[in-house]
Amino acid sequence: MSVEAHWNELVTTALLGTDRRDPPTAEGPLGDLVADALRVDPSSRMLAHVAACTAVRRAGVVPNAPMAPLVPAPDDDRPVCSAAAIDRWHHVTTSWPVLEDEWTLALIENGWRVSSEIVPAMLRRHRRDPVRRARVLVAAGPSGEWLVDHLPDLAPTVSKKTRTSFDPESLGELPPLPIPPELAVLLPRSGAEIGGTIAQGLEDRTLVESHRTVLVNLIARCAPGALVDVADVLDAVDSMSPGRGLASMLADLATTRHRMLDELFS
Amino acid sequence: MAPSAAAFTAARPLASPTRWLDLGADDRAVWGSCQGSGAEPYDTAVDHVGVGYRCTCPSRKVPCKHAIALLLLWSQDQVPPATPGPAVQTWISRRQPVPSSSSTRANRDDAGDAGDADDAGDSGDAGDSGDGGDGGDANGGGEPTDAADGAGGSGTRPGDDRQSGRSSHVGSGSSSGGAGGADGTGSGGDADGEPPVPEPPTDHDRDTGRDERVEKMMAGLTELDRWLDDRVRTGLADPALARYATWDDLASRLVDAQAGSLANRIRRLAGLVGASPNWHDEVLAELGLLHLLAQAGRRLGELPSSLADSVATSVGWQVRKADVLGGVPDTDDWVVAGRSDQREDRIEVRRHWLRGTTSGRWALVLSFAAYRQSLDTSLVVGTSIHADLHRYPGPALRALVGTRHTDVAEQIFPDSGPVERRGRPPTQSIAEACDEVGRMVAAEPWLERVPTTATAALAQRGDQWFLTDDSGSLALVQPTGPFANRPGPVDGVAALLALSGGHAVELTLEWTPHGVTPLAVHLDDRSVDIGPRADTSFVGAA
Repeated sequence: MSVEAHWNELVTTALLGTDRRDPPTAEGPLGDLVADALRVDPSSRMLAHVAACTAVRRAGVVPNAPMAPLVPAPDDDRPVCSAAAIDRWHHVTTSWPVLEDEWTLALIENGWRVSSEIVPAMLRRHRRDPVRRARVLVAAGPSGEWLVDHLPDLAPTVSKKTRTSFDPESLGELPPLPIPPELAVLLPRSGAEIGGTIAQGLEDRTLVESHRTVLVNLIARCAPGALVDVADVLDAVDSMSPGRGLASMLADLATTRHRMLDELFS
Repeated sequence: MAPSAAAFTAARPLASPTRWLDLGADDRAVWGSCQGSGAEPYDTAVDHVGVGYRCTCPSRKVPCKHAIALLLLWSQDQVPPATPGPAVQTWISRRQPVPSSSSTRANRDDAGDAGDADDAGDSGDAGDSGDGGDGGDANGGGEPTDAADGAGGSGTRPGDDRQSGRSSHVGSGSSSGGAGGADGTGSGGDADGEPPVPEPPTDHDRDTGRDERVEKMMAGLTELDRWLDDRVRTGLADPALARYATWDDLASRLVDAQAGSLANRIRRLAGLVGASPNWHDEVLAELGLLHLLAQAGRRLGELPSSLADSVATSVGWQVRKADVLGGVPDTDDWVVAGRSDQREDRIEVRRHWLRGTTSGRWALVLSFAAYRQSLDTSLVVGTSIHADLHRYPGPALRALVGTRHTDVAEQIFPDSGPVERRGRPPTQSIAEACDEVGRMVAAEPWLERVPTTATAALAQRGDQWFLTDDSGSLALVQPTGPFANRPGPVDGVAALLALSGGHAVELTLEWTPHGVTPLAVHLDDRSVDIGPRADTSFVGAA
């Protein structure tokens, strides 16, 4: 009897219990291993057989027969984005999700392919959002669809109707962010002007924590060329000023966006 | 001073006066209260003369990000001069007198040591077998840590030992002399309390304590074997098996018998009942191995010393960390080949699998975290460290990292240009991987997890995923049942699919009796850690 056949006998006996059924007799080396005149009762013999058989089966682990591997994903000629861009995506989605749309669009626009290691996370993140999900699939290339084919849990959770009802034009456009008119006028201005206006507002308390969202939106949509100056001006806000915390936070946003675009446009 | 570039990055956003209350500094210390994620602000103080840190945050990093942020503020002249409050005064007074240059140096060393991964691991009592299967109890979070004051800020305190029923000592001992540790007095001193200096136990006390412990353990093993006998007599269809109390009562008695590793194993086994269609098969195999350990544990004196050590460790005999670190080091370039996290009861256990470049031997470095505590982040998959590893007694995989001769950060944040890629273990076929696993399991059949490597591609049959090559295939751990890891092997499969694109890739794997789990993918230019990750709502940010 093979070890596997013996094991199956042991499992059957174990299900019933040795009060109802005697353990099987082991043969060959396994039988020699557990042969013990001192083990007179069936339950002791059974435990010895189970222990020996388990040790033999585990130590003798052998692979199953070879299988046919998956058909590989189609090739994509586009270069893979840099590791720094991947790190930035992690940072953006954790700290500045307002920048994620721009990250994806900039990546596509500059001919990059998103590194495959984050594609599952991106798809999972946007299962309910057809526009963003479609962008991820464009950024991922053919391997994105290939991945979804093999992992149903990456499929969209929206209905088929919703999936096809979005405007294809919106795929390539940044979604508008609410910015009040008095701040929106700053959008085309230079970094020094934008940063200066914000810094002044923080200093004289006309801009406070409750303006955080619109200030974030302003920096997320101002001209890329203004970002370095915005960060510099906000970083220079007096450390004892009550608006220092908000200024530092906005400076970090400006720096993050600047570096993000730098990585994707280089 | 920051333990890593990441720690410095984490501290920077906090280095703003708006995040702090009651900031102050004098010629000895700088202090303040930082509003963190908790309801109460964290009280942080830094002794900038004697170099010591104190913070009420739950982080085990030393210094923590709050202390670094506080120093950043101070260095930018953003901390006003002030008189310290009573808490800081008391703390500083305990640190008096101002240390000389040599003692300052010693304090710095202490602070550095306390941040090591091993301390994190040792704050919980592993009571662990070579496979690191048993997480222990870690300190409760939120206690102030003071790296420079104690013998290691994250060392286990005696109070923790009492709570867990086990000491801070980890590992094994044996009939052949057996390491101590029976008294449960950990090596870590309380940071803020002024712990009384205990009288060292006499040899007689030690012998008596050890003898009592051995007696308890033997009684526990006898009881375990009797319980196993009952299970086999009445059969696995007995409805009593479906009741958790059936298992938990035994586990509690094993804890009392100071066989903590077996107790944890029993509790894990309880989770297998009814969890899969072939649970009878899996439970029976585990009952057999428990019988093997119970029998071997009662015959330690008759076993070869190395095997005796292994059995003693797997049963739950503990050895002091200092004794482990006092052993002969295994010095090598250690490739951090893989990582996996698993929740075991109320403890998150992190396993780092290291492989010696020269020796080809595997080693396991464990760390533990209770709720809101941090796991070790000092070992990065895909890097290698030239370090001394100190193994637990016997043929154990488990080891502590001693002296690190290189800094991992140098590889992650090189000063100039790319560094030579060293963090990649050699690979092999699936059949060779099985051979490697078999050799390790033959030496210690009770191992629950074994590392290996393979170059393989994914295959699928129904819902089951496999790794395959020309020599054979291995099933991946199923995403359901008690052996499924969080966030789940499905995430590992997704990452592996994405990274491989369906092609064969080099992998670090963790074998279990229930299948293999891919832990890392080693690409040409980098390694990607895809092992199961700890639940971030449970463990604190590193």
